[in-house]
This record gives sequence, structure tokens and C-alpha cells, in this order.
Amino acid sequence: MSQRITIALNGEEQPLPPGSSVGDLLSILGSDGKSVAVVVNDAIIRPENRSTHQLHQGDRVELLIFAGGG
Amino acid sequence: MDVLKLGSYTFSSRLILGTGKFSNSRVMLEAVRASGAQLVTVALRRFNRQQAEDDLFGPLSSIEGITLMPNTSGASTAAEAVRAAHIARELSGSPFIKVEIHPNPQHLMPDPIETYEAARILAKEGFLVMPYIAADPVLAKRLEEVGCASVMPLGSAIGSGQGLATSEMLTIIIRESTIPVIVDAGLRSPSEAAHAMEMGCKAVLVNSAVAAAGNPAVMAEAFAEAVAAGRKAFMAGLMEKSGSAVATSPLTFLGSY
Repeated sequence: MSQRITIALNGEEQPLPPGSSVGDLLSILGSDGKSVAVVVNDAIIRPENRSTHQLHQGDRVELLIFAGGG
Repeated sequence: MDVLKLGSYTFSSRLILGTGKFSNSRVMLEAVRASGAQLVTVALRRFNRQQAEDDLFGPLSSIEGITLMPNTSGASTAAEAVRAAHIARELSGSPFIKVEIHPNPQHLMPDPIETYEAARILAKEGFLVMPYIAADPVLAKRLEEVGCASVMPLGSAIGSGQGLATSEMLTIIIRESTIPVIVDAGLRSPSEAAHAMEMGCKAVLVNSAVAAAGNPAVMAEAFAEAVAAGRKAFMAGLMEKSGSAVATSPLTFLGSY
């Protein structure tokens, strides 16, 4: 099945295979997820729930890391 | 032992270092090590596939004895700062949060109303709230009353290097506060950090002064020494100022005045 869903990843469109989890998304992005905070539709998704939390069409996903700051 | 107490945490270093504006993360990490800082600020940023190597969590966590203090930079309302604090705690595992709400990028002055509201909510939730504020004694007292772990008034505008332009107000804040007062922002030279400590600040937070120095690691060390010297001087008790000369040697040996 070639149908894809589209999520808003950090404000930009990101196509994904249907049924993808947060964990799948991180793998696609090449992140081990260790130092990344995941927020889906304003809710923080904790590491232990990432493999089971399914993403849906139109979900707003924010991935955040620590960068330099004063 | 003389330690900085913030909540249930104690730190032997009274220099807090920011990690922004360094030319690269290697230089930043060298400066952090050289500073001996045990509390280090970081900012939240969107993950970007191309810049994945910029992630600082791993490298900073590998330095022994470092506690992270994420900031809420980028927030322009209390609600945004609270949201940033929740995300930051998830990542850092640290209860420290530097509440930093500056809606105007031209002057970066902190919004006192939004800062107060965010601090009130986050302190109630158990965060160790470290609010970045203008040097306003009334606001500082109000933030103490809602349970902040410290107040962090600015010496002068962020990144300006104008030093302790607010020293008159800082003196009042220090006199009135029962929580640690930490000068945050505006310092340029180690002597200013020493001066802040001599005035009775419990710590200083510097970033630009180190990051923009010719040699950041050496400057970090210089700040650490100045902060320690200033603290020592404060603990020793400075002499009283006098309006006229007071002789240190006898004046009667060769003749009398």
C-alpha cells in the first residue's frame, strides 16, 4: 500500500507510512531519541511510550534538543 | 564549607556558565571544564537533521559534576515558558529552570509580569525556579514570596558587556533578599564578577564574556578565580569607607602636624 500520512514536523510537512509510531519517526530521522524531547499535539511523549504511540494524519510533532544558550 | 545552596542542591562553585555564542562545541566544552562551573545553562532548540551534531546534552552530561539549568529562551509569554520548562525537565532530568521571557529582541529586557506568572506556576510544580529579571527590588521580593530558588537580576543588557550598571538596585535587592541573588547578564570582565560577589551576590552567571573572549577557556578560569576572590572578600568583611584619610603609619616620629 503506497498511501502515506502527512504530519507537521517542527512546522514542516513530513510524509510517513500509515501506522508509524513516534519511534519509527525518530528512526527515519536517524535519531536514537536519547537526547530528543518529543511533543505530539502539545503532549510530551515519554521515551517508554514512543514505540507504541501511533502518529496520525495532521499530527503536530515537535522534536527538541538542547543547544547552547545563556 | 562555604557552598552555594539552591533548593536541596549545594555547589562549591559560584560561577554559573552559559553555553551560547561559542564558536563551536569543542571550545564551549573546554570553557566549561576550565570554569569549574557546576551549574550550566542550555537552551531548547528544534531538532534539525542537518545539525544533529550540535546537540549538547551528551557532551555536557559527560562532564562530571555538571547540573544542567535549561532556560526558557524563545518564550514570550508565561504559558510558553511553562511549556518549555516541562519539555526541558523531560530532557534534562534537572529541577532547575531559568525563567527567561524577553519579548523584544531589540533590548532583550525581561517581561516582569509574564516572568512572575511563570515563576509562580513552576515553583508550585516543584521546579527550582531561577528567574532572569530586571534589577527591580519589588519584583525580586515578589518572586521570593512565590517560592523561587533565587533571583537573577541583570547587571546590564544581555550580551552588552556594560558591567554592573544596576549596582544601586542590586545593593537593595541583596539587602532585602532571603534567597540567593545571582547577577545574570551584562558582565564583561572578571573584576566586575569579583565586585558583584563583594557586594554580596551569591553567584554570577556569565556567557558572552567568556564565549566572546579571545581565549574562552582562559577567560573562564579568570572568572572562576575572580568569583572565588570576591566571595572570599565578602566573607572576610570589607573595611568601612571613610570620608577622609586615615593614617596607616604613625605620624609623630619626625615631627608633629
